[in-house]
This record gives sequence, C-alpha cells and structure tokens, in this order.
Amino acid sequence: MKQIISFSLMKATLAAVAFMFTAVTSAQAELLIRITEGADSAIPVSVVPFAENGSMPAGDKLSSIVQADLAMSGEFRPLPPEKMLSLPSKRSDVYFRDWRMLGQRYVLVGELTRNGDRVQARYELFDVNREERILGETAAAPASNIRSLAHHVSDKVYEAITGVPGAFSTKLAYVTLQRANGKALYRLQVSDIDGKRAGIRLESKEPILSPAWSPNGKKLAYVSFETGKPAIFVHQLSSGERTKVADFPGLNSAPTWSADGQSLLMTLSKDGNAEIYQMNLQSRKVTKLTNHWAIDTEAAWDSAGAGIFFTSDRSGGPQIYYMEKPGAEPRRLTFGSRYNARPRPDSAGKYVYYVHQRDRAFTIARTNLESGDETVLTRTESDESPSVSPNGRMLIYATKQNGESILTVISADGGAAYSLPASEGDVRDPAWGPIVR
Amino acid sequence: MTGQEREYTSTGVPPWKSPFAISVALHLLIAGVALAGWSWSSPVHEPPPSSISARLITQQKPEPSPVVDPVDQPDQEQERKELEKQKQAEAQKRQNEEKARKAEEQKKREEAKRKAEEQERKREQAKAEELKEKKAREAEEAARQKAEAEARERERRKAEAEAEKQRQQEAKRKAEEEKRRQEEQRKREETERKKQEERARKEAERRLQEQQLEAQAEQARKARADEAQRRERAAAAKARESQMLSESQKYQGLIRERLSQAWYPPSSATEDMTARLQITLLPTGELASVKLVASSGNTAFDNSALSAVRSLNRYPVPSERDTFETYFRQFTIEFNPRRLR
Repeated sequence: MKQIISFSLMKATLAAVAFMFTAVTSAQAELLIRITEGADSAIPVSVVPFAENGSMPAGDKLSSIVQADLAMSGEFRPLPPEKMLSLPSKRSDVYFRDWRMLGQRYVLVGELTRNGDRVQARYELFDVNREERILGETAAAPASNIRSLAHHVSDKVYEAITGVPGAFSTKLAYVTLQRANGKALYRLQVSDIDGKRAGIRLESKEPILSPAWSPNGKKLAYVSFETGKPAIFVHQLSSGERTKVADFPGLNSAPTWSADGQSLLMTLSKDGNAEIYQMNLQSRKVTKLTNHWAIDTEAAWDSAGAGIFFTSDRSGGPQIYYMEKPGAEPRRLTFGSRYNARPRPDSAGKYVYYVHQRDRAFTIARTNLESGDETVLTRTESDESPSVSPNGRMLIYATKQNGESILTVISADGGAAYSLPASEGDVRDPAWGPIVR
Repeated sequence: MTGQEREYTSTGVPPWKSPFAISVALHLLIAGVALAGWSWSSPVHEPPPSSISARLITQQKPEPSPVVDPVDQPDQEQERKELEKQKQAEAQKRQNEEKARKAEEQKKREEAKRKAEEQERKREQAKAEELKEKKAREAEEAARQKAEAEARERERRKAEAEAEKQRQQEAKRKAEEEKRRQEEQRKREETERKKQEERARKEAERRLQEQQLEAQAEQARKARADEAQRRERAAAAKARESQMLSESQKYQGLIRERLSQAWYPPSSATEDMTARLQITLLPTGELASVKLVASSGNTAFDNSALSAVRSLNRYPVPSERDTFETYFRQFTIEFNPRRLR
C-alpha cells in the first residue's frame, strides 16, 4: 500500500510498471501459511432432533438414524442431543455462537410433517463457523419407509460436507450361517448398510458363497452348492427369479459383474486348472482370460472397466495380480507377505483392498495403485471378504468375534470401526451394493 | 620565501625592472663619464671622482700620469728658450764689446791681425756655423723633442685612447658582463620568478587539488559516514526484521497448529487440491475477514478451509504492533493436504 502511494507520485507512464512491481513485491512479501495436515479426529456435527408435526411411526427417529449413519462413516462425531443447549428446527432459532461454543462445525436442523401416509422432511444444514446454510431440502417418503428418508438425509448431509456422495442408502448383501440341531442353514440376506431391515433372499442347507451386486443394484450373482456342487446363479432381487448361469464341471466360483452388467467374471476349472473366464450373460459364452498352471481366481474389474485384478498362486502363494486388459500378461501387485488374496478395487481406481496375512493373522490391507504403498487397515485377526462402499469411503469385511463371524464397517482409510448388529450365527461374505439413483 | 613572493605579487611592480634599469642607466652613465673624461682629461685634469663611479674610475689610476707630463712640458721649453735668448743676448753684448775692443786692437794691429781676424772670422764663422749648427741642432733637438713629445703625446693619446678603448671595452665588457650578469640575474630572477610563479602556480594548483581532494575526501568521508549510517540503519532494520521474522515464524507456527487442528479436510480431498484464503485480522487476533482467493475446485474442500479459518475465535498474534502489521494484519493461508487418511 505504501509502495503504491509512493509510486503514485511518479509519472503516469511509469505507473503501470510500478503497479506491477508493487503487486509482485506485495505478493511476495505477504505471509503465507500452508496447512498440510488436518485434524485427526472426526468432524463435530450436531444432528438436532427434528421437530415433528403430526404422529410419526414408532421406532427410531429420523435424526437418530442420521446421527448413526454419520457416526458409522467414521468421518463425523455427532454431538449427543442431551449436550445441546437448544433444539432449533429452523434457521431463526439457530444461535451460532452456542454451537461454536460447543465446538460444533455443522448443525443439521429440520422438521417432519405427517402428510397422509407419507412423511415430509424439511431440513437445513448450517456451517457454524461460516454461519451459512450449506444445504436446504424437502424430501418425502412413505411413513413406513422412514429409514430410507433418514439415509437419504444422511447422504445429502454427507455430500454437502465432504463433497463425496453418501453411501448410506445403499444395500449390503451377505450370507449368514445358522446351525440348529446339527443342521446348517445358509441364508443370503440383503440389508441397509447399518444392518437394519435385513431381508432373507435365499435359504439353503448347502453353502452360499460370494454374493456380488449387479451394477444397477437389481441382481445378485453368487455361488450356491444347492445342487451338490458349486454353481453360479444370477438372482433378480425384485422378483426373486434365479438363473443358474454357470454349472461347468469342476469349480464354478467367484462371480463379479462387469460395469455394464452384461457379463460376469468367474473362476472355472472346466479345462483342468482354475482359470479366469468371462461369461456373456446373454449368450452364456465363456472366454478364458488366464492360462497358467497355477490357480487364478477371484477376479474383479478395475474401476475403469479395462483391466482385471485377480488372485494367483503362480509365484508359490496367493498374490494379487493385475492384467491391464483381458489376456494381457499379469503384473504382480503385492509383495508384502506370503498371502494376499481376494482383491477388490475402489470405484475411484486409487486403491485395491485385499486380505493380507501377516504373522499368522489375516487382516485387510490396501495398496495405493499409484505409489504401490501397502497399508494394513484392520487390527482384527481373521478378516476376510473386504468390500468397498461405492463412494470409496467405507469398507465392510467379515471377521471373528467371540468365535462367531461378524461384519464390521470401517472407514476406507482404516479409521473408526462400526460393527453391524450381530444376527444369529455367523455372518460372512459381505458385498456392498451400488448407489442406486 | 613565500613572503617575498607574495611581496612581489602583491606590489604588482615587476621587481626586476628597477634594478635592471638602474644598472643600465648606471652603465650608460659610466660610459658617458668615461667618454667625457676622455675628452676632458686631455686638456687639464681628470674629472674629479665622484659618487659611485669613483670606484670604477680610480681603478684607471695609471692613466693620469701621461696626462700630467705633457701639461708641464710647454712651460719648461719657453723658459729654456728665454734663457737661451738671454744667453744669446749676453753673448751678443759680449761679442759687441769684444768687437769694439778688437776693432781697437785691429786698428792697432790691422794688418797683422787681419789674418788673425780672418782666422777669427773663420773661427767666428765656424763658431756661428757651430752655433747655427748648434741652433739647428737645438731646433732639431727641440723639434725632435717636440716630435718626441708629440709622439709621446700621440703615444699617450693612443695609449690613452687604447686605454680608453680598453677601458671602454672593459666598461663595455663590464657593462655587457653586467648586462649579461644582469640579464642572467634577470633571467635567473625571471627563472626564479617563473619558478616561483610555477611553484606558486603549482602550489596554488596543489592547494586547489588538495582542496579538491580534501573536498572529495570530505565528500567520501561524508558518503562513508552516510553509507555507514545507512548500513547501520539497514542492519538495525534487518535485525529488527529478522527479529520480527522469527517472532512472526513463532506465531505462524502457532496459527498453523491451530488451523491444522481446526481443519477437517473432506473425504473428497486429494493431495493436489489447494485452497488459498486471504485473511485479515484485528490486532486482538480476531478475524476481521476471510476471502477465498483461489478455489481448490472442490466446494467441500473450500468450505472446510473457510470453516477452519472461521473456527478460531482468536488467532495467536504477536502483541508487538509492528510485527503484527507487517505479517499478520493480512496474510494468506493455503490449505493443501499432504497426507490424507
């Protein structure tokens, strides 16, 4: 500023130059503080219980479900309502100073209005520090479907704050095993990601393995031993219609979908050795993608739908390999231990998650595909079947707790863990469904 | 010496002129006197020596003696001639008396004596002859003496002239010598003067130069002093600046720490995202304003940065006003995650 004043005394012809000079120097002179690390803790957020107009269905309150969703993500730390100084439901009642004092960054307020058999939610999200509304919306759902409304609100809040679409409205598929009277009962179930509203889609005395969601979230492919031998089925969820697509001699296992939903990758041993094949679901024709004396299995398309991750023991033990395109020479990705298996890439193409054995413990690890850096994400010991949320921010896997298999959700970077409510018996083979628009 | 020179220069009268003029005049005078002396001296006596020239003339002592001799000579000749005349008259008288006596005797002896007379006449004749001869001799002698005197006179004159000439030559020589000496003196003086002038000029030049040098030195000293002062000030300013800088770095660190704790990078953040915010603070550390000057391209990321910046109730800022004004009144914060969870 001083420089500008002093230079303004100079001739007009020099003024432009002088100003440039000033601009440069002042830009250089000004202090710059670079922040490269954020808080390690989760974001403090307050989900204020919504005001209610009219009678609401029994059960969990919408705000409680949202609170739980946000907490489950591991990215948020909701303030318990009893600690709140006030319970505003609209902007005029929000005193930012109070929320600041409570160290809150965001406040979600709203109200529910019963409208016949539907419930309408009007809600607003405020940035406490900026004292700005960053989200305001009205949404409605059947009164019986209040959880869907709540997950929708969670998704919106999550996206408004993080810039990433929420995955709270997505579904999980998993298999439970119940033993009763010495008999095993396998159930293929589909639930909300918090484990609620679980629904049995298939029951069998024979093992059900490896459920996989179709890209549109309407079908599941899985392996069922119901015929006495492993076969791959495609199951239409809305109708319950099932189609056995692969029943070749030998092994029929590990189905995954292509991005267009028109084909499956699967492991077949019909030619003697376990190899990876691609099956066109309409023609049912299979194409052999690998050809090696070792076992190649557990294939999955990369996020771009161009290359394929798979497990192979061609180096002696199971390791993760990657083919840039079907039939290309595979490249080994994991070297950290003797056992790395069942790769699952995230949707962003940044990481691949897999089961990783170290010191006899089976954990979940991920490798940064760009840097090759491997990070172990879990501290449990018998982890298996990792599955990444469609927004890449969460990961579900099966592990053992008190001798039983349970499902645990963690943030994709290995943060806070959230165990799904234990159902009867073992729970395994979780598969995270896609975001369905 | 310089005093003398100053005198010369101060009077403004050419110092050499008067002595030289005097000298020349003197010489001319001497020459004149000598000539005059020559022309006068021949009749009677030398001019009486007077004043300064006396010294020079007294040196010509041998000259007056030839002058004095010829002066007395004509008087002696006349006396001698008169004496001769007297003698001759007396001799005549005696002759006449003798004649009368002899005539008487002659009468007595006449014939007898005629021979004797003849003889006497002859003797007389011879005596006259002798006298005549003597007279002639005397005249001759006189003439000779005269001629001699004349010759001597001539000689003397000649000598005198020669002497005069010599003297004149000498005088001339001396005059010339004097002149030369004077000239030399003049030249010496001139040279000296020139030297002096040169010296004076050089001195003046030297002084001027010295003055200039002095002035330059003074200027240089002043410049050095100014430079030193400026350096000192600059050093002080630098020290101050570095102190401020270190102070500012301390507070930068504090601010960075607080903001790091307050910043929740959203899950959509990537390492290549950078949001730049310009912050204006009050001296109390309160946030006056924040402006997003460069977006990361991700709204959630930008908002997280803005929220972090606004979340601090009070920024740690130095109490020292200058440091605050220099660094913390307005500054830029860049949010750029290096390590994402």
